[in-house]
Amino acid sequence: MEKTAQSESAKLAKPAKSASRRPLEGVRVIDLTKIVAGPNATRMLATMGAEVIRVEWHDQRALDLLRGVQPKAPGEKADSLNRSGLFNNINPGKYGITLNMSLPQGRELFKRLIAKASVLCENYSPGQMDRWELGYDTLRKINPGLIYLQISGMGKSGTYNEYLSVGPTAQALSGLTHMSGLPEPMPPAGWGYSYLNHSTGYYGAMHVMMALLSRRRTGRGCYIDLSQTEVGLMVSGTATLEAQLTGKPTERYGNRMHSADWAPHGAYPCRGSDEWITIAVQTDEQWQAFVAEIGSPDWARDARFRTAAGRKANEDNLDRLITEFTKSEDRYDLMHRLQKRSVPAGVVQKSVDRYLRDPQLKERGAFVPLPHSEIGTWPIEDFPAKFQNMPVEVGGLPGRAAPCMGEDNDAVYRDVLGLTPEEIAQLREDWII
Amino acid sequence: MNTEAALSAALDGTVIIESGDERGEFAGVLLASFGAEVIKLEGRQGSYSRRLGPFASSISATSTSLSQPDPEQSLCFWRYNLGKKSVSLEVDHPGARDVLGRLGQRADVIIDSGEAADVDRRLRLYREMQASNPRLIVCTITPFGLDGPYRDFTMTDLTQLAMGGVMASCGYDPRSDGIYDTPPIAPGMWQAYHIACEYAVIAITAALNYRELRELTGEGDCGDCIDVSIHEAVSTCTEVALPSYIYNEKVVQRQTGRHAGVGRTPPWLRRTKDGRYVKAFLFWDGRDVRVITEMLNEAGIEHDLESGAYRELAERSPSEAHAHFSALIDTLVASMTAEEVFHRAQAKGLLWASVRFPEENIDDPHFQARGTFQSIRQPGLGRDLSYPVSVATDGRQRMTAFRRGVPHLGEHTQEVLRQAGFNDAEISALAVQGAI
Repeated sequence: MEKTAQSESAKLAKPAKSASRRPLEGVRVIDLTKIVAGPNATRMLATMGAEVIRVEWHDQRALDLLRGVQPKAPGEKADSLNRSGLFNNINPGKYGITLNMSLPQGRELFKRLIAKASVLCENYSPGQMDRWELGYDTLRKINPGLIYLQISGMGKSGTYNEYLSVGPTAQALSGLTHMSGLPEPMPPAGWGYSYLNHSTGYYGAMHVMMALLSRRRTGRGCYIDLSQTEVGLMVSGTATLEAQLTGKPTERYGNRMHSADWAPHGAYPCRGSDEWITIAVQTDEQWQAFVAEIGSPDWARDARFRTAAGRKANEDNLDRLITEFTKSEDRYDLMHRLQKRSVPAGVVQKSVDRYLRDPQLKERGAFVPLPHSEIGTWPIEDFPAKFQNMPVEVGGLPGRAAPCMGEDNDAVYRDVLGLTPEEIAQLREDWII
Repeated sequence: MNTEAALSAALDGTVIIESGDERGEFAGVLLASFGAEVIKLEGRQGSYSRRLGPFASSISATSTSLSQPDPEQSLCFWRYNLGKKSVSLEVDHPGARDVLGRLGQRADVIIDSGEAADVDRRLRLYREMQASNPRLIVCTITPFGLDGPYRDFTMTDLTQLAMGGVMASCGYDPRSDGIYDTPPIAPGMWQAYHIACEYAVIAITAALNYRELRELTGEGDCGDCIDVSIHEAVSTCTEVALPSYIYNEKVVQRQTGRHAGVGRTPPWLRRTKDGRYVKAFLFWDGRDVRVITEMLNEAGIEHDLESGAYRELAERSPSEAHAHFSALIDTLVASMTAEEVFHRAQAKGLLWASVRFPEENIDDPHFQARGTFQSIRQPGLGRDLSYPVSVATDGRQRMTAFRRGVPHLGEHTQEVLRQAGFNDAEISALAVQGAI
């Protein structure tokens, strides 16, 4: 079993939704994360069966800004902290408590929680935990088996350890922004969202679970100083290798495949407003099938396009001619026709398409309806895999979507710390929880 | 090879067999960085990724031809197969059955990737292997998973990023009339596969934890079959796009160099003195105005942000004030290099960064201090290359690293087969049959 104080600690009373064990059974995670990167890491851990306890407070330093952002669930209480759809989607399967860490009494309660935990995840601004005297060196004395995941934009060690960052900052510095878009003189298109918030969450969960495996062998916890920018570098493909060999800066290639003779390879406009289809021909057989599907027009049988090298060398012309064909086509109809001939093609699906018009996501159950205590039941994006044996549920131990602010104060302070109802009431009175 | 890293032994003793194509290779790399022994099964002609460029042998400072397919020189293969062993084995050859069976006896995990029909066919064999090794965890990575109406679609990284919704959020602003005249953009190579493989590693690591938990509690061996869908993985990775529709029936629109949104937002990208870009992210609050004012003063740029006229404009017409403020930031940024802007803005507490080329980070003292890159000898190249290998430190050194470099095709065939119990005569017979 877990070689930590946690294994002997009390568990939150809860209905056992799954009869069998969960992968991270017995793992308690104290979650001090905000926005998306950190909460996405703890989302993964909750999905795998960890008992994740989100710790929040009402002041700006501790409040998760995501609770206030659009989209909000429709209805009354527009200024409620419990109605954000994005927060709900990023935080299912977790318990939620409030704790005023600015007060010494709050920090003492926090230490008691740490003593009964396996993992701490946090992504506060640089130095905040140290200012509260809650850095790893302090907490490991309380719980030597603690795994402490600290997520930041650039890392807590190194020369940029005081620099501030959000997802777009890390994307810029890592090179991901530069690499996305049409070639110069067009500017970078970058990423239209904080991709590195998602990815950093994946790496955070991965590292914590590796540390859990390691701890079973060594009995030791560890400190993980995770850098969002380094995650960006990890997913920068072959760019850094190529640049070391060529001595030239990394370029952008739009939607084209720069390292193979794949053409056509791009997004082409279809009938309707801002409707597109992607087509990616990798072989001569696929090209011939594509030509047959579009009715073998004279231009497509031009000698320039007969070979992969020829199509690549004449890609501008090829794209122009294909656009003339696709612009009057229905995007889904064309995709299905090309797929019937085994030509790689996919509609550029918007959110509405994925939610309403994607039979694959529907059949595989990609959206799980989960209850929320204030806004009712809403669809939550599921973990994107099916498991034969393991019980893996995005609703986690509580079997619900995100917690309301402080929703589980009574249960956590009673069941985890053993406080009496009177003690809990006094903590509320004193503005500590 | 320096492999000092805090979690690089987390998977010590864990044997992973990797089959399939380029879709699952990144999962094997990540697991190798945590210390797993990853045995890559390649056909006798080598993996498909060996035929994808760019190729080191054709790259020089004066040549940009990247299309000469030398299977030992593919940078794509190097990047996505670092740290693995290579076994030459035709997995669909009848003679491979016994090899896989014996390899499966000592394996903890099998990763297979490719078109669903191909993977499904091999999955039958893997299930037989699980019958004799019930601890075996099988993870498949396919375009849409192993069931569903799109299961047999033929896909690439590009078409997955389209179907999964990433491209709809990435690209350029529309024209002033609201019409888009540029396409949605797939932001970089292999990102659909990165996302799917990261999920696969999370699932595999959870399964390893689950297996250990059951073994520790005496509940017996417990392998698993994990069916990862690239489409579903990509679709979970679009941030606010889906919630915006689900909760408010709003569809986000792509914008240049910044987040897609349900409404237009001010630009983030600004051009610098050296022709580069910075991402100048602002909250448009009083603090931003104060800091920008300080920076303008320090740069000696005339402005009126401290004047009554500007304050009056901000009250009367916030949009005009924003436009004026934004133009001053353009002037400020244009007076410095991208790196100067980055460091000066950060010194003032602004969340800004230079839009770097990824390779510019290799020699950056920050990443050198953290051990982000590992120098690895490239056989046949006569030099080392720096690979990004770690996303974290333990406060002193990097968390993950690689114990071996990139394998030659079939470099470990003999070694791995002997470990699996094959003698020289049997190995020779497999070669004659064309299985290895």
